[in-house]
Amino acid sequence: MLHDLITITPRHENAARLILDRIMELRAEKPSEKMMITISGEVGSGKSTISVVLGRMLKKRNIRTKILDLDDYYKIPPLERRKWRLEKGIESIGYDEYDWDRVNQNITDFKHSRTSSLPCVDLITGYVDELITNFKGVDILLINGLYSLKIEDAALKVMIELTYDETTEAQRYSQKEDLDTYRLAVLQREHEVVQSLKSKADFYIDFDQSLFHL
Amino acid sequence: MLGDVLLITDKHRAAGKKILDYLLGHPKEKMVVAISGESGSGKTELAHVIAKALRKEKVFAKPIHTDNFYNTHPLLRREWRIKNGIQNVVGYNEYQWDAIDAVLRAFRAGEVVQMPCVDLVTEQVDQLTTDFENIDMLILDGLYAIKASDIDVRVFIDLTYLQTKEKHTKDARGKEVMDEVRWEILGREHQQVSELKHLANLIVTADYDVVEQNKQ
Repeated sequence: MLHDLITITPRHENAARLILDRIMELRAEKPSEKMMITISGEVGSGKSTISVVLGRMLKKRNIRTKILDLDDYYKIPPLERRKWRLEKGIESIGYDEYDWDRVNQNITDFKHSRTSSLPCVDLITGYVDELITNFKGVDILLINGLYSLKIEDAALKVMIELTYDETTEAQRYSQKEDLDTYRLAVLQREHEVVQSLKSKADFYIDFDQSLFHL
Repeated sequence: MLGDVLLITDKHRAAGKKILDYLLGHPKEKMVVAISGESGSGKTELAHVIAKALRKEKVFAKPIHTDNFYNTHPLLRREWRIKNGIQNVVGYNEYQWDAIDAVLRAFRAGEVVQMPCVDLVTEQVDQLTTDFENIDMLILDGLYAIKASDIDVRVFIDLTYLQTKEKHTKDARGKEVMDEVRWEILGREHQQVSELKHLANLIVTADYDVVEQNKQ
């Protein structure tokens, strides 16, 4: 994802530190193994910011992390999505909107340390670029996205529990998209789908309290 | 550039609005805008707010950062600079200007182009393929961006690294280790960047006002 507005707060750092500790525990068990981690949570819960903070913390420990944002994998590109969703109805919104074949292809390339071609949305233009990356030397694949809990074989599945004040959430997210009644209905539907996947997580973070439980 | 952290504040938005008005008042098809200024002066933030504001005016602008085009790999640059002497090598010639020119040409022609794209988290250089067909404006930001050939509007942020010292010391952006070497690099860049000020059409002053250079 290009031109995502990443602004780090101490809350993001606290959340990232909790995930980092858990990753270091897992790596102590299997030190040299490539590892896949997912971070899910509601829209505006801080997934992408936490991912960047976590990636930087891991970098300081000489662990290379590539971040995949599932927002890059929608079958319908951003500029056409609203119209498509209006035609298909609110029930069309959910994890089937992702191009899972593409996600799985990129995951396979990571596991085999291969060069891979990834979709990459430019959030300013709304167009989808292509990104060629080499997974050789990348230790961790960090996948963040609303429905990343659908990826069953991740070594760690983190869920960011949204207890964020709703106004703050709306304001933060409005940097990406304009909010209106239809958008709010979309958010509600996405919320329901995310909640339906919640039990798949194995690590929960309460963003407000920086508490976590297994 | 992937994984970059921006610190956008009201001053960026205010200056961005003034630059936006200037750009809308000087319309041109396939316009290239360049923003130069020292490290920490807010180039990328400014490019971001301008591009965002242009979208609201139905103008599709793509920001591109010249830091993606260094000759040296991110992980090797520091050692390379020390080995060859900071005073000798830090500057304009560290960039692949041929590649930057190729991107500008592709933009003008509305073609597909591949360019380097640094991931600040992996510290690798990925390759980004983009289609310029529907892109109306390109905003090139970087230390020496306004020196590139074939730029329509040149913006210079008149703020030195010493005036933004706190930003570097606090490591808020987590980009590079701050030590004597880094300070020397910033000092050298300061000399090099200052020489470009006369090229600018628009100057963003130290207090983030925007003035036209010939009207100063």
